[in-house]
Amino acid sequence: MQGKHLLGCTLSMLLLASSSLSMAGSWCAAGKPVRLAGITWESGQFYAALISEIIRIGYGCQVETVPGSTAATETALVNGDLQLWTEQWNRTDIIKKGLASGKIKLIGDLLQGGAYEGFFVPDYVIKGDARRGIKPMAPGLQTVADLPRYKDLFKDEEEPGKGRFLNCPSGWDCERINTQKLKAYQLGASYTNFRAGTGSAMDAAIASAYERGKPVLFYYWAPATLMGRYQFIQLKEPAYNAKCWPTLQANKGEAPCPSATPATTLQVGVASNFMAAEPAIIAFINKVKLSPELLNRTIARMSERKLSPELMAREFLKQQPALWKSWVPADVAVKVQQAVK
Amino acid sequence: MPDIFLQFSFADSINQFVSWLVREYGDLFHQLTAVLLTTLLVPLEQALLALPPLLVLLTVAVLCYHGTRRKGVTVLMVAGLYLIGCLGLWDKLMQTLALMVVATLLTMLVGVPLGIMMSRSQRLRWLLVPVLDVMQTLPTFVYLIPVLMLFGLGKVPAIFATVIYALPPLVRLTDLGIRQVDGDLLEAARSFGTTRWQLLFGVQLPLARPSIMAGVNQSIMMALAMVVIASMIGSRGLGEDVLAGINNMDMGKGMQSGLAIVILAIVIDRISQAYGQDGRLKKALRLKKTAGATA
Repeated sequence: MQGKHLLGCTLSMLLLASSSLSMAGSWCAAGKPVRLAGITWESGQFYAALISEIIRIGYGCQVETVPGSTAATETALVNGDLQLWTEQWNRTDIIKKGLASGKIKLIGDLLQGGAYEGFFVPDYVIKGDARRGIKPMAPGLQTVADLPRYKDLFKDEEEPGKGRFLNCPSGWDCERINTQKLKAYQLGASYTNFRAGTGSAMDAAIASAYERGKPVLFYYWAPATLMGRYQFIQLKEPAYNAKCWPTLQANKGEAPCPSATPATTLQVGVASNFMAAEPAIIAFINKVKLSPELLNRTIARMSERKLSPELMAREFLKQQPALWKSWVPADVAVKVQQAVK
Repeated sequence: MPDIFLQFSFADSINQFVSWLVREYGDLFHQLTAVLLTTLLVPLEQALLALPPLLVLLTVAVLCYHGTRRKGVTVLMVAGLYLIGCLGLWDKLMQTLALMVVATLLTMLVGVPLGIMMSRSQRLRWLLVPVLDVMQTLPTFVYLIPVLMLFGLGKVPAIFATVIYALPPLVRLTDLGIRQVDGDLLEAARSFGTTRWQLLFGVQLPLARPSIMAGVNQSIMMALAMVVIASMIGSRGLGEDVLAGINNMDMGKGMQSGLAIVILAIVIDRISQAYGQDGRLKKALRLKKTAGATA
């Protein structure tokens, strides 16, 4: 036992030593490329680019980004064809099975406070916008319980007499949860459950309302591009309730009871064999963490200026040295710093 | 390698144009939407939903028999609609029907006059043919997102998209039908001193009816093909279930609503085709059949 322990100690010290010299671990040293999943949404793309740039420059690995649908890249990660999958929400069966079989691990905590979701309105609805000459339309609107009072403000022309709640497209997870929430919050009598049809239609409807300074009530989530581009206010929901939350998720006919959606920890999916081979890189990924405000701002800028995630990551490395230097050892930081100058 | 392509992109200008349009005229278009909805669409949909299903089935039976004069076809059509009701999709069927009716009426209102004008002016034809080609081939979502930013999410942009997509065959076939009217007949009519309007309504349009009705029929079929696209921008109806089925990998649900759309298409197709056939031709066929039966 003692011997084993000692061996473990020496090994970890050796690893520490190698990591402090930032020598590539056995994966990159063998010349194998680190394959990252190409994510289909902006924040995930930015995280992937940021992590891959630091791995490439700082740790001297070859990196590749493999595009594909979420289901396809998640399957590839579990099968060992990909090594990293940034911005995992841990919602799909593929990931859950992969975790259970031990083929992958979820590590890190990419976003301070995690990803949040809920019911939103543009800020001018509550506070007004003097610059655009918009008066507050619903100064008393704070919680979802206030919504019935303001149903005429969010009037649904297709069903006069009710307000319109803009839900996710049919078939999305959030659509089912919101449908249950409408029941739990007893909004069914005053609001229509309006499904957007597609994600782009939903975004277009919100953007159109915001540009015109009109009231709109919708479900949204952060991190997201729209969150960075526009100012939204989240309505308060009844606090998270561990007993009620499952009744909102499942749709098996039980009466749903009120609960806010808990924050989701955003993590990185890692293939287990890669994790064993590259402890230094894993240590770095474990430290990556952005504030929601910074992330939303970054991805909003990325989409506004139509920058590639790689360019945006480079710009970020240039502008936020204090932040990313705290994630990596000093010698890695020097290399990255020189490269982005 | 020398690059022979000049580098340019008009994506930014279009983006700026669309957001300018939304800012400046978005409210106006949204008001138009509200008027269309409150005066036309919502009442029609509510009326259709309020109708007892039995009455709808009976109406379809009467229309179908009156048009086709065939009992077998009539029974099949009614059975098909009844089946949709059995699948629990009656309300969605009525929503889709309301959308179809309005879209088809609008298409006819625009399409037939446009076709008539096109048959009279070679210059207009030169102008319109490429426009119609673009309308038929431009991927729907390319213009759908700007349209829904202007008109809001839901039925109205869905109807506009459907009209854009379903218009070209009606315009083309109306134009064709009027051009194909025999020149001798026109000359004969003119020699009797018809005015232009008399010529149009008394001779050209009746003789072009089979072609125009074929155009209407094609438009309806294309409009039905748009039902799923329409549900992608938040319009209710059968397409919504297809979309949800696809998104959830619930193939059964998707297939059921898909079949309901097909049944609706067949019913409308048979009825509109029956009314499109030339009256005299139909009579002749009937006479021939009874003659064959008695012989």
